[in-house]
Amino acid sequence: MDIDHNTLVGFAKSWGLFYLIALFIGVVIYAFWPSNRKRFDDAKRNILDEDDRPWQ
Amino acid sequence: MAELFHHKLERTAIGFVIAIIAAASVGGIVEIAPLFTIHETVEDVPDMRLYTPLEQAGRNIYIREGCYACHSQMIRTLRDEVERYGPYSLAVESKYDRPMLWGSKRTGPDLARVGGKYSDFWHVAHLINPRDVVPESNMPAYRWLARTALETNDLGQHLQAQRALGVPYTDAMIANAAADAFGQAAPDSPFATGVAERYGEKTQISAFDGVVSHLTEMDALVAYLQVLGRLTDAAYSNTAAPEQAPDPTN
Amino acid sequence: MVQQLTSGERQNALVILLCVFVTGVIMAAAGGSDPLGVHGVIVLLFSAGLGALVSRSFYEPQPDPQRLSQYYDDPIKVGIALTLAWGIFGMFMGVWTAAQLAWPDLAFDAGWSSFGRLRPTHTTGVIFGFGGNALIATSFHVVQRTSRARLAGQVSPWFVLLGYNLFCILAVTGYFMGVTQSKEYAEPEWYADLWLVVVWVTFFVLYLRTLARRKEPHIYVANWYFMAFIVVVAILHIVNNLAIPVSFSQAKSYTIWAAVQDAMVQWWYGHNAVAFFLTAGFLGMLYYYLPVRAQRPIFSYRLSILSFWGITFFYMWAGSHHLHYTALPHWVQNLGMTFSVMLLVPSWASAGNALLTLNGAWHKVRDDATLRFIMVAVVFYGLSTFEGSFMAIRPVNALSHYTDWTVGHVHAGALGWVAFITFGSIYTLVPSLWKRERMYSSALVEVHFWLAVTGTLIYVFAMWNSGIIQGLMWRTYTEEGTLAYSFLDSLVAMYPYYIARAFGGLLFLLGAIVAAFNIWMTVRAVPVAAARQADVPDSGLAPGAAATPAE
Repeated sequence: MDIDHNTLVGFAKSWGLFYLIALFIGVVIYAFWPSNRKRFDDAKRNILDEDDRPWQ
Repeated sequence: MAELFHHKLERTAIGFVIAIIAAASVGGIVEIAPLFTIHETVEDVPDMRLYTPLEQAGRNIYIREGCYACHSQMIRTLRDEVERYGPYSLAVESKYDRPMLWGSKRTGPDLARVGGKYSDFWHVAHLINPRDVVPESNMPAYRWLARTALETNDLGQHLQAQRALGVPYTDAMIANAAADAFGQAAPDSPFATGVAERYGEKTQISAFDGVVSHLTEMDALVAYLQVLGRLTDAAYSNTAAPEQAPDPTN
Repeated sequence: MVQQLTSGERQNALVILLCVFVTGVIMAAAGGSDPLGVHGVIVLLFSAGLGALVSRSFYEPQPDPQRLSQYYDDPIKVGIALTLAWGIFGMFMGVWTAAQLAWPDLAFDAGWSSFGRLRPTHTTGVIFGFGGNALIATSFHVVQRTSRARLAGQVSPWFVLLGYNLFCILAVTGYFMGVTQSKEYAEPEWYADLWLVVVWVTFFVLYLRTLARRKEPHIYVANWYFMAFIVVVAILHIVNNLAIPVSFSQAKSYTIWAAVQDAMVQWWYGHNAVAFFLTAGFLGMLYYYLPVRAQRPIFSYRLSILSFWGITFFYMWAGSHHLHYTALPHWVQNLGMTFSVMLLVPSWASAGNALLTLNGAWHKVRDDATLRFIMVAVVFYGLSTFEGSFMAIRPVNALSHYTDWTVGHVHAGALGWVAFITFGSIYTLVPSLWKRERMYSSALVEVHFWLAVTGTLIYVFAMWNSGIIQGLMWRTYTEEGTLAYSFLDSLVAMYPYYIARAFGGLLFLLGAIVAAFNIWMTVRAVPVAAARQADVPDSGLAPGAAATPAE
């Protein structure tokens, strides 16, 4: 295939959109996946733990 | 499956990094990739000439002093800009500009078509002290340009570096860079003829700062300011602009 | 500091410094009287000075092996000191340049002090000097605490921090000599750019290795933002700075990008420097220091994930809104506009998430100036992201572009968001890092807060006014259909606002000086609190109360 300016513009205008939608769906699935709930809750609370040294 | 994938992505920080690169760079690549072929859409302008060594040196002084922080060189396609500054800027006009100096701020006016609008004498007086010519101006004074000799020994190397990037400077232009710089600011010297020969009859050859015996940074900067917007007439013939290119001889 | 390194590590440090020293000698020899030669001398003096520091403690006793079971905080402490020093320098240069716009003779007829050369010393001083050091210091702090792991290196954190500062020094001293690529926010020349790549790759590897050591199963979201900051800034920096030097004995180079391509690459870089340097990194600070200071977990962790990916993706496309109505192809302009508007969604999701975290703790915001710094930062973040999306709309941009409105917008973000979140984070960090029970003076924090708020508001309102007046004057027509004002008329109208802006900036600078004094005195004069544990705030809360996360 001959790659000229119009090919690239066409690609940018079409596949860029699909890429955006796929990314969005992926992120939403990840954020709302039920088994992730606990890990997120832990993460947001754990930073408030009081300790001043690394865990061994 | 999805669960496993996400789990892995998160456990290993490197997977996470790849995800960031994918999300972030695809946007940039998809948008910029077509610009690598943009020259296919920029029309070919036969009368487009190159910066002379003196103008290129002036351009580098313009960059060094940060003039671009207050002056744009990009007339937008808006009525008031076209009426104030001249025909809107075309992509081809900055074809050889490395880097481009389109600018982002107008504390002072746009300079895309300032070439030929004022005399050399006006530019020199203005750069020596802007408030002598324009009392309300807040532009810095550039007195030291008139007392600093222009470095010309390395001008050939400058043209050489640009040729490596695709600017069509010829061997003769590179070999004569220093002489051409001197000749452009010394109209009656034997070096002057070579400049017109190599860069075209339209090249402005004049004393710029008024002293022909030696080159100063003032010569270079004024030579550059006088060529702005005059490398090609394309903007006057290819757009609906009513104006004609300024003619410095009248 | 050096005492904390083993003798092998001290040797490594000396070898690295020797390599830098030799590079400096080569640069000085090759450059001669060119600015490159001057920079060579700076590089060799810098490495020789550090080498002397290491050698002085070279034969001191080995460090306590117990140190490896603690967090590595020495580089963070130095990073905070450097942040404050660069902040005061950069803000001072800002006030000076602002004053030059009103009184141009303040350049004193010298090249090095003229507006065009001073301006990048201000932008680099505050963005890379102040902001960059703050990001390095806080990222080292956050990644250790949230991973429950010590930094994965003893010498490399110092290499990152000090190497980065060498880059900043080369950049700023270069501007005084007129060394610049003229690419906004990417002014330093090729050799400084190459050095930054080395430093940045080390930063990246260090951060990644520390994350790999983590004991927490999940990577806390603040690290995502820091990681995005590191990774994407590397990509942007390399692509935008591709250039070939005129010769290896000269500072000057020519970029490989020309004309319209250069414009696109430059503003793709420029806008993403805003996105990943001035936004992502500082959001990383926000997502750690806000919950810690307020002692409340972030309102919605899911929302923080969604806005992270939104910001990472959308920002990349937004750069072309800097080029509306120019010779850039129309479709690229439209793309930039569309994504800039969409950016409002993840941006406001972050701002809303932060404000909802504070909901129910407003009494803490009232009483604690440090938390108020963070709260105001969030408000300005929301404000300037809205303004940014608005200004990216083509017809609005027709008015705002090239005017002071852009400058006002940038400072709403840089002062209101970046500097406020930085100071809020530093005030949280300093007592815990030096194990002090509180700041030296909470009254001075309060003074700083009000100086900063007043300064920012004066600045931003002056620039909104001047920018909009300027934009309107340029496009006003008489009844006969001719332009009503000359350019000069619009310039004359700007003077009162330029004076007001310089005054606003001065107040902000004074606030930063107060902060530096207060932090200095905290380290010097406040007694060490032996029982001091984590980053608990000092806002008069009983220790027991502070330890319980609020619901």
